[in-house]
Amino acid sequence: MKRLQENRIDQISKYLQANKLDPELLPEILDHLACEAEESLWDGKPFEQIYRDMVKTADAQTLLNLSVDHQNLLAMEKSLNDIVFENRNKSYGAYDLRKGYGQTIQRSVVMGVAFFLLLVMFPKLYARLTPDPKPEDIAYIVEATPVDIIMEEPPAPPPAKEELAPVPKTVKSLTPEVLPDSKVEMEELPPVVEDLESAQPSTATVDGADNIEVIAPPVANVPVAKETAVGVEKREEKEFVHVEQSPQYAGGNEAMAAFLRKNLKYPRPASQAGVQGKVFVQFTVGSDGKIENATALKGIGFGCDEEAVRVVKMMKDWMPGKQAGVPVRVRFTLPIAFQLD
Amino acid sequence: MENNTTSNEYVRGTLKTIVLNLLAEHDRMYGYEITQEVKDRTGGAIALTFGALYPVLHKLEQEGLLLTESVEVDGRLRKYYSLTHTGNETARTKTNDLERFIDAVRLLLAPKNLATE
Repeated sequence: MKRLQENRIDQISKYLQANKLDPELLPEILDHLACEAEESLWDGKPFEQIYRDMVKTADAQTLLNLSVDHQNLLAMEKSLNDIVFENRNKSYGAYDLRKGYGQTIQRSVVMGVAFFLLLVMFPKLYARLTPDPKPEDIAYIVEATPVDIIMEEPPAPPPAKEELAPVPKTVKSLTPEVLPDSKVEMEELPPVVEDLESAQPSTATVDGADNIEVIAPPVANVPVAKETAVGVEKREEKEFVHVEQSPQYAGGNEAMAAFLRKNLKYPRPASQAGVQGKVFVQFTVGSDGKIENATALKGIGFGCDEEAVRVVKMMKDWMPGKQAGVPVRVRFTLPIAFQLD
Repeated sequence: MENNTTSNEYVRGTLKTIVLNLLAEHDRMYGYEITQEVKDRTGGAIALTFGALYPVLHKLEQEGLLLTESVEVDGRLRKYYSLTHTGNETARTKTNDLERFIDAVRLLLAPKNLATE
């Protein structure tokens, strides 16, 4: 098979291009014509004649029709965008965006609808995916450690009650035994008549004396006559508060005042604090005139109480108080006044 | 030329079927091969011009009945055509339709043609 030379093919190609054949069709038509030409060469025709025949068959009109047919065919596929961008820069992004617009919208609509449906259906889907809890299903398993439960023994019914209840109330009653006199024991004898008689008068007298003693101190005017009558028999140990003849400082009140003035010293703390007042010193004048149990009944403090007691204890023997001419112990209260100059 | 024009008139309606039928017989063909095949088989009675053939091929391709592949042969790009699956089915139905049509036409033309034959 003879081949067409390159320059011949170029010649045909240029002819086709000159007749404005669509560039997309050019390779195919070129191949077709070249094949025809080669076939003719094989038959022994010179190229010039072949070319002339070719130009005759593939005239301008035929080629134009081909191009138009092809354009029409493409036009069916062509969209508005292709017409809009016919002679414009298609590499610029707008063409791609416009071209892909339909697909983009389609995809986005599908995605949006799918998403919306998913959102709406989600509760149902979820309910379908999660199995319904059956009544016999075990929701949770909790392992429990065994717990020893000790039965509390119920309080035993008090048996005593049952035993006691039927027992009737009984009183000890023994039939008296008859025994000979020698064997009878004398347990407790009631007081004898003679004792009662002897006791009664004696107790009556004693009670009278005790009563006077207790009642006497608070009462100011006790009938003295009665006291003396009873007091004769009393022992001298008794301590009196009021007696017929009060005890006296030997030498009288002036002598006592002089003694106190001489011995009393104003305690420093009291003088510094400017304390003054009376200290009541209580003491007992014995039947022999001695001072006993000297204490400060009510004082003013700051060492004055102690000072007063000290001086009282220093005193010489008193003349004891007398009751019915007999010296007795008498409780005595002496007020000692502390006074600053 | 006269023959060509008259044949072209009838070929125009049947060309699609002819091309599909030829492609059904071969794996793949290129444009010139088809014209040669038609020419050889009909003894030159039907001559396909490239001006008529290629628009039909392109149309069939656009309809999805044909597949194309470009192979470089002798420094030229040659475009081969082959049938798709739907193209095969279409080829069968179209061939059947054409055969029935030809039979019908033959019945119509028979009385007159009998004398000539």
